[in-house]
Amino acid sequence: MSLFRSEDHVRRWTRANGYEIGAVVTLAQVWQLAKAWYTDPRSPEWRPRRRDQSQAVIASVGLTGAFWELPG
Amino acid sequence: MAAIDSVALRVFVYDEILARGKPPSLASIASHFAVSPPDARGALANLKIGKTILVDPTSGEIWMAGPFAAKESSYRVVGDRQSWWANCAWDMLGVAMIANEPVNIESRCTDCGDPMTIRGDPTAPPASEAVVHFLVPARRWYDDIGFT
Repeated sequence: MSLFRSEDHVRRWTRANGYEIGAVVTLAQVWQLAKAWYTDPRSPEWRPRRRDQSQAVIASVGLTGAFWELPG
Repeated sequence: MAAIDSVALRVFVYDEILARGKPPSLASIASHFAVSPPDARGALANLKIGKTILVDPTSGEIWMAGPFAAKESSYRVVGDRQSWWANCAWDMLGVAMIANEPVNIESRCTDCGDPMTIRGDPTAPPASEAVVHFLVPARRWYDDIGFT
């Protein structure tokens, strides 16, 4: 997951490096994802998430569809 | 093998990262829990907390403890009292969440290399036109976590 100045820069970089564009996400949405995903592992309530829980976190910030499907 | 409580180990690892900017070494873990380095290595390998803490298969040292990277990366996260390395552009904001403080993120555009500084505040999304590119679909994130 790499940082770019804009979607234009993503297009240029993927073309130059022979990659297909995956998914371009705004920084605000990645912030939402980070906030939902990362809870303090020092908390007594912290537990590793199951796959379905992780999938629900991703969907909760609007990232849905085949690209966002975690491995089964 | 001398036992280390898995919760105590997890808490120690993250306490050390937040306080010192990098994960503890096997030697440091062994010293803290009064066990041998091989026992510390075994305890880390047996944490079984998904992909949260990953160890270098050769050295046994912590490679990443999400969202923190053990070594220098493209994402430097600077807090008030400490700085950290993040694994990726998602994790750079995750560091702000775990540190629970506003941070400045120093990085570069992956395309043009221009320096980028982003304010990461755990209470409000960044005001930035920057974007994050997810090259690899989620089903393949863990095939090669370093590449992802």
